[in-house]
Amino acid sequence: MEKTLIKTSSAGVKYFMNYEDGAAAMPRGTIRSLLERKKRKGFWALRDVSLEIRSGEIFGVIGSNGAGKSTLLKAVAGIIPVTEGEISVDGTLAPLIELGAAFNQELTGAENIFLSGSIYRIPRRAIRENFDKIVEFSGLRRFIHTPVKNYSSGMFIRLAFSIVIFFKPDVVLIDEVFSVGDAVFQQRSFEKMLFFKERGAAIVLVSHDLNLISQICGRALVLSKGRASFLGKAEEAINHYLQLIRSREGLEEDAKGPEPGALAAAEDSRRWGTRKVEIVGVDFVDEKGNRKNVFSTGDYFEARLSYVSHGAGVKAVFGAAFNTIYKMLIYGPNTLEADFPDSLPERGTVRFIVPRLPLFEGDYLFSASVYDPSLTVAYDHHEMMYFFRVISRGGRDFGCVRIDSRWEITAG
Amino acid sequence: MKKYLLELIQFRDLLLNLTLTELKLRCRNSVLGFLWTILNPLFYLLVLAFVFSRIIKFQVPNYTIFLFAGLASWLMIQQTVTIATASIVNNQALIRRVYVPKMVFPLSNVLSRYIDHAILILVLFGFMAIFKAPFTWSLLFIPVAVLLHFFFSWGLSLITTVAHIRIRDVQHVVAILFQILFYATPVIYPLDVLPLKYRPLLLWNPFYYFVECFRFPVFNSSLPPGRLILAALALTVVTFGAGFFLFYKKEKFFVFHLS
Repeated sequence: MEKTLIKTSSAGVKYFMNYEDGAAAMPRGTIRSLLERKKRKGFWALRDVSLEIRSGEIFGVIGSNGAGKSTLLKAVAGIIPVTEGEISVDGTLAPLIELGAAFNQELTGAENIFLSGSIYRIPRRAIRENFDKIVEFSGLRRFIHTPVKNYSSGMFIRLAFSIVIFFKPDVVLIDEVFSVGDAVFQQRSFEKMLFFKERGAAIVLVSHDLNLISQICGRALVLSKGRASFLGKAEEAINHYLQLIRSREGLEEDAKGPEPGALAAAEDSRRWGTRKVEIVGVDFVDEKGNRKNVFSTGDYFEARLSYVSHGAGVKAVFGAAFNTIYKMLIYGPNTLEADFPDSLPERGTVRFIVPRLPLFEGDYLFSASVYDPSLTVAYDHHEMMYFFRVISRGGRDFGCVRIDSRWEITAG
Repeated sequence: MKKYLLELIQFRDLLLNLTLTELKLRCRNSVLGFLWTILNPLFYLLVLAFVFSRIIKFQVPNYTIFLFAGLASWLMIQQTVTIATASIVNNQALIRRVYVPKMVFPLSNVLSRYIDHAILILVLFGFMAIFKAPFTWSLLFIPVAVLLHFFFSWGLSLITTVAHIRIRDVQHVVAILFQILFYATPVIYPLDVLPLKYRPLLLWNPFYYFVECFRFPVFNSSLPPGRLILAALALTVVTFGAGFFLFYKKEKFFVFHLS
């Protein structure tokens, strides 16, 4: 009964640098790059990963951004060829990676059901039989004859998910899809996953949500810099992963993008403003002033915004914001509330202090900004350019933020 | 290779869907819809026919049929290849996210083009009736000629598609080359208006053989000479073989060149 559905043996994927920047970089260096092809340096996004995933198993994959999780999924899905080693998949495969990718924007929802169906190799007849159920599950009956370009992103994903759900795949690859749709839809999708598992499908789940992994996965793989750092029981894998990031305390891989404390590139689309006052660095520190990037729930948290003001006596308002990795704003305070001097010293550091961090386990994006006192002119806005992680174990409450509250009961 | 072909067969529904989608989308939101596929070449034909039979007078009896036959053959290759060249790049969003055999994209482009071409050929038959060109048994060669065109243009598309993925200028270069070749191929003019010393050059133009193979049954009411058929057949086999093999070898790696 327990059949191996996915097998990878020392699989590795190597990217070449000039593949990475792709078409955009072509005109300048085409002739040269053709001549220098042999000199190209590659980097291994995935190296030496060996796994066997059996039917009826929900398998978790965790790791920091850039650790190779998505590359692994794409290699299993056959989208990216392996450079070395081998990957074999037995049975029909449902990749829930970037859902809705199979859609044609111009076609209606109904037409897209048939188009996606043929992409996933579902027989035409099976789609026709399940058509009503798919539409029902997606809850989009009213819009099914509207071109999908007019759909909201939520509707788009719901339709895409509903199609995949109905074709009884043997292998399901999931990349953070539970983050979309409303709570009811998430719940139903979740139940469907468990139903697949009962039917003997193998499910590979990539998620940043360690709670989800520990709840539903039997085994998990921890990836670090493209290599398998740990493979075993989900609970142990999570512990291993937490140790890994604690020991690093700085999340090297993530830091490559929004490097804590480093000035981001000026042409970054996440940054705008007149630069009358410039934020030249953002650091996260603990109460002793040590820089760090991983906090626990309830820890002292401080963000230090170093700035330079161009011109004397400038008035300015500083702001900060916390967002979830799904870009939802949690809290966005600014210094209008604070007792702040009328004109700024020419250079200095603004300290934003949270005495007890109420955030729960997960990754968070941090924005820093400085505006004119009427908040209409942005001097320098860093939109979700910084990043930190919160870890916590135990606790019986759920969510992403702890709201100061209590329970009472009154008889009668 | 066998696995590859089997997989293509498994994806035949997708191939059909992509082909139909292309045709369907062309009709949507336009009043004349599908008619444009015929109207476009037809107007082109009428303009050329007017210029070359009224203003510059070629000594060709029934010039309209002569021109139409040549143009139909030419468009079968030129339009197909120009459009299919971008097939992979145009579908990169899909290719980067889902696994499908990449061959379905150029092939669906080619197929939907040949549906257009089939309609155009029916219109050509209508013109033959109007202009009183004789219908003879040699017209039975037309399906064979179309098949040669089909595999030749498919094979050529595969080569240009692979090149276009690496260097995005290819599509423009292809379009320009076709413009030049149009005048280097005896589509609008009969072979004998060319000065004798230039005629051997035509033997190096692959499109010459296809145009003649198609035009002979329509215009000359006879089968094309055997050496023309053989040349077209040889060109088709070589081009299709090379294109298919190149595409088959490279398609895994397309994803690295798309962004």
